Amino acid sequence: MSDIIKQKLWDIIAHHTSDNEAEWLRQKGSSTPLELMTAFVAAPRFLTKKIVTADEQAQAALNLEIPGFSVNGWSLVRLSRVWLLTQLDPSDKEEYVKNIETLFDTAEMNELVALYSALPLLSYPDQWLFRATDAVRSNMGFVFDAIALHNPYPEKYFSELAWNQLVLKTIFNDKPIHFIEGLENRMNEKLAMTLSDFAHERWSAGRSVPAQVWRLVGKHMNASLLNDMQHLFDSANEDDRKAAALACAESGFPSANYLLAKYTDLEKTVKSGALTWADLEH
Amino acid sequence: MCLNHNDTANPSHFEQSEEALNAPAHRDIAWNDYKDLIKGMRFFDPHIHMVSRTTDDYQAMNQAGIVALIEPAFWVGQPRTGLSSFKDYYSSLVGWERFRSSQFGIKHYCTMGLNSREANNEPLAEQVMEILPLYIYKEGVVGVGEIGFDDQTPAEEKYYRLQLELAKDAKLPVQVHTPHRDKKKGTERSMAIALEHGIDPSWVIVDHNNEETVKSVLDQGFWAAFTIYPFTKMGNERMVKVVEQYGPERIMINSAADWGISDPLAIPKTAALMKMRGISDEAIRLVTYQNAIDAFGKSGQIDVTDFEAAYAVDQTEKFHGNSILRGGQQPAPVKDFLVIK
Repeated sequence: MSDIIKQKLWDIIAHHTSDNEAEWLRQKGSSTPLELMTAFVAAPRFLTKKIVTADEQAQAALNLEIPGFSVNGWSLVRLSRVWLLTQLDPSDKEEYVKNIETLFDTAEMNELVALYSALPLLSYPDQWLFRATDAVRSNMGFVFDAIALHNPYPEKYFSELAWNQLVLKTIFNDKPIHFIEGLENRMNEKLAMTLSDFAHERWSAGRSVPAQVWRLVGKHMNASLLNDMQHLFDSANEDDRKAAALACAESGFPSANYLLAKYTDLEKTVKSGALTWADLEH
Repeated sequence: MCLNHNDTANPSHFEQSEEALNAPAHRDIAWNDYKDLIKGMRFFDPHIHMVSRTTDDYQAMNQAGIVALIEPAFWVGQPRTGLSSFKDYYSSLVGWERFRSSQFGIKHYCTMGLNSREANNEPLAEQVMEILPLYIYKEGVVGVGEIGFDDQTPAEEKYYRLQLELAKDAKLPVQVHTPHRDKKKGTERSMAIALEHGIDPSWVIVDHNNEETVKSVLDQGFWAAFTIYPFTKMGNERMVKVVEQYGPERIMINSAADWGISDPLAIPKTAALMKMRGISDEAIRLVTYQNAIDAFGKSGQIDVTDFEAAYAVDQTEKFHGNSILRGGQQPAPVKDFLVIK
């Protein structure tokens, strides 16, 4: 990991801490692994409860180092915990991995959130793959969010199977998929088809799916998905109709264009750029 | 208790007197009969084992005004066979159970410790003591507990003492479990040992008191907790009398609801009963809410704005999509509907 990112994180921390708090962190950050790990656990006893805001410049600097990485909305404790992890010496791989695994094994909820938030910054990124997929299995909403939303780790390291699971579970849990880093880059046909099955189940049960999830199918449009588009165009929900229009427009599938042409108003707003997926991001 | 009725004029010690029958030790009250009496009251249950309770309980507790609770580490009904079971249990207290509770708008704290029964398995107890420091410094851990005596064996004493030292180092209050059998002696012994270790009695909550133990506990400056657990511990009618006699200072009530027949609504029901008996609102507030916060708040881990502000918020808004409220479930009880959607 680059020293630049450690420094950038520290700059944000320094902005939000008192002299005593900063001194405590600095001291713990340069102590033995055991003391550092204890500090990771005990951080809420020494740091004030507050939410961190990084100004645009600081945020851009983080992004430059690790695309998609962001600390906005984090608590000071979470940020400080992540920073402490970056201070662990990675030169002895076995020791380093053991220490991080111990923290995972004994972590409470907020510690898990910090650990998963830190994955993009840790050394030996492949080592954490199982842990990361385990977080997707977590029933604790905050833990799930820490890996699924605003975290660039899954995009980079998840297999297609694990990635699709993450996206589907986000939808299943009624969370906004546009907060998933790399959503566009990792769209795939299997995901589009599974999503269609999922929507059919929900429809049969008299339930609905959030309109923006159809952004995942446009590029993989086929005859079966086209039936879903028709279903959406027939929906009483305006967002569903907009989603169908957007998905058809970006499909390049001739029958989809033909279908869209039947809905002239929608076609116009999509083609003029007046309607985009951003309008359905809620 | 087995009643042995006979016709002698001089009743046996075990017989229930006429007076006792007219003044039962415990009374259950239906929600509709007491909900108005406790309207607007806020409760803090400083001892309840939620891992053994259902979501129905969480819903009912939230509805009855319980805004925060403490889950002490205890034994789970059968002995654990290895360290991993302890680890997973401790992790669940600060992880899954804390989260589950949050889904019902109830702030969840816990105390961490090696319970007295399992202290008797010394090889395992030794290993547990090694990992315990990892847990007691965690966020939301408000004490070392519940620790103390069960059979009052030398092993129990050994680990009780070690954990008192741990609490001292970590600057945490101590939640003391007093034994079911030979309670009076066990309670005295627990207090004497705590004092011997130089622990300030105002940092020690002595739990499961009864009429026989309370005076000494209060006289020595400890907090006296009462468990409303019909049949084996205190009944709520008896509890009201204790508060009438001793006043509200340094007294707190808990449910200790667990896997046995117990009542997660013990606190609101007892509050209602106190109200019926004319105990002042302020005294009720102290023994069902504030005293617990003052005692365990010494840990520095209780921020009342976490639950006083969150009271009566819309859960669906606060706890965005999650696994307890799967696909559109409602957090509030809707038990009157036949149709399940």
